[in-house]
Amino acid sequence: MGEGTKMIKKVLIANRGEIAVRVIRTCKELDIKTVAVYSTIDKESLHTQIADESVCIGNPPAVESYLNMDLLIETAKKTGVDAIHPGYGFLAENSQFAKKCESAGIIFVGPNSKALALVGDKVECRKTMQKHNIPLIPGMQSIGGNIKEFKEMAKKVGYPVLIKAALGGGGKGMRIVKNEKELERAVAAGRREAKSAFGNESVYLEKYIEKPRHIEFQVLADNFGNVIHIFERECSIQRRYQKIIEETPSTALNDKLRKKMGETAKKIIKTTGYTNAGTVEFLLDKNKNFYFLEVNARIQVEHPITELVTGVDLVKQQFLIASGEKLTLKQEDIFQRGHSIEARIYAEDTESDFLPCPGKIHLLKEPQGPGIRVDSGIYSGWEVPTHYDPILSKLIVWGENREVAIKRIEQALKNYIILGIKTPIPFLIDIVRHPQFVKGETYTNFISQNMEDWKPNRELLDTALIAGAIHLQTRLPSVGQGMPQRVISQEVAKSSSPWLELGDWSNT
Amino acid sequence: MEHRFIHSGETYKVTIEPKENSHEVTIDDKQPLQVEVVSAFTNSLSLLINGKIKTVYLAEDKQKKYLSIDGNYFELELEKGRTAKRGRVGLKEGNVVCSPMPGSVVKIFVSEGNEVKEGQVLTIVEAMKMENELKSPIKGKVKKVNFSEGEQVDALQPIVELEAL
Repeated sequence: MGEGTKMIKKVLIANRGEIAVRVIRTCKELDIKTVAVYSTIDKESLHTQIADESVCIGNPPAVESYLNMDLLIETAKKTGVDAIHPGYGFLAENSQFAKKCESAGIIFVGPNSKALALVGDKVECRKTMQKHNIPLIPGMQSIGGNIKEFKEMAKKVGYPVLIKAALGGGGKGMRIVKNEKELERAVAAGRREAKSAFGNESVYLEKYIEKPRHIEFQVLADNFGNVIHIFERECSIQRRYQKIIEETPSTALNDKLRKKMGETAKKIIKTTGYTNAGTVEFLLDKNKNFYFLEVNARIQVEHPITELVTGVDLVKQQFLIASGEKLTLKQEDIFQRGHSIEARIYAEDTESDFLPCPGKIHLLKEPQGPGIRVDSGIYSGWEVPTHYDPILSKLIVWGENREVAIKRIEQALKNYIILGIKTPIPFLIDIVRHPQFVKGETYTNFISQNMEDWKPNRELLDTALIAGAIHLQTRLPSVGQGMPQRVISQEVAKSSSPWLELGDWSNT
Repeated sequence: MEHRFIHSGETYKVTIEPKENSHEVTIDDKQPLQVEVVSAFTNSLSLLINGKIKTVYLAEDKQKKYLSIDGNYFELELEKGRTAKRGRVGLKEGNVVCSPMPGSVVKIFVSEGNEVKEGQVLTIVEAMKMENELKSPIKGKVKKVNFSEGEQVDALQPIVELEAL
């Protein structure tokens, strides 16, 4: 702790689920008191129960609770916190909210509102990058107007081209166009989708990069102009333009390219006046040219893999920077050691096009062992609500090299038991076992190329039927390995306390 | 005993015949399999199927069973009608009281012909230095007692057989 700075003492976490739990964990280590907020449906959620204080902030729809800026600020004042940590999603990248916090004298644990506004506007951000000679994917400099403009630019950069929403994210409003015939319809469809998703129909056009890899760099910037990068994450394994498996280091980078991309990431952060933790996303093409995509102005879902290979607690750094500390980490102090992979566990049905499928978790048993970390927001007996992002948890492993890490995550996934709702665990196992994945041939089209016709393995169906029948026919005591590990709610505690779990057994 | 499950719209018939130290399980008209229960708890079963060990995690909810085996996930639905008339699934089925683990029978409190109340302790089995009271799942009459005190019992071997009253 530097001279004259005042460490945050109490924070409100304006989020829910695994990321709220993750932030609270670091707060406990830093002796920062925590205030959780929850919607009525989240009363029994894990984050609500592990914070020092919990405040109900409204009805289940996010606009009436987790997105209600004024209510959050009011709650922050009432509970006497110094700071608000926004997590990811919800208000994390909302510059208006950051500004409201600043005016209310509450520290927003994230970038300053000005930089947040700049990086949040993709078209504006692109213009700034172009001025500073940051490599960009060839395409429009601003929002496209009439269809003629789109046609001319498409011809100039060459097909295939990509139509993207100006305020977009998560693939919404995005369209790949292979030739001029498809263009007009794609622009119209992109606009409609952008309008309904973001309330703004602005779209633009750029060259579509084939067989690209998604490589991003984690950065930290303090309020004194010091910027470091904490190396890359490769997040090429995506479904519906959303990441599901991430790893670091990337097999596609050598030291020279890594250094060049890292320095570029730092330059991007400096030119935008960005502060706190952030991520600079790039696309890497098959000839190892890289193009700036965007700055993710938040703690990322996949941040733990960086933590496991570098030993840096990124949430802790967020709090230190937000408290006004100077970065004590120097670029030359940061090393990558070993390999880390993360798999995201969602409540979704892989077979039905990854449709979210909430429900009750009847049994949870998390994998354990050396090099295994689970960031989770769930427990046995909890009902996954329908109102929010279906992410349940993240399984993160570390191994001394990629080969070990792959084996480790495969085994850990096999020992990750979630019963009652569908999750992508069987699908994830098949991805990490896939020869192309093992070889490091990971491109953003990996799933459409290799997993398109995926069906769950039915070899063990007979075993399941046998077990089901034997289970039916027998009266069994509640003992043993299936014991839930996180027991929070009263009702659940009754049926699964380790001692009650022993049933009628007594020691002899 | 016969059970019917629905998985992905298909119905499967599973027949279980208890043998001396194991069960003979037949799925539809396939070859019967020798299944030994190594351990059995509410949420996990360890089965030796034709010599290979499989650990199965499972949970149930009304007419559904959820299972996880080696990273594979299954949802089985009990065929309606058959289970409904049998009452609460998993408890009264078969009207037999078994030990969940191999162990020794420490005490037997009932003999043939005795009338028992639901929840009445019928026998105590000791395994792994723990005593387990096995209670009657139903109000009924003792049909048969298969073990005497001091005898060794395997997992899921019926110790007391009951008749509903």
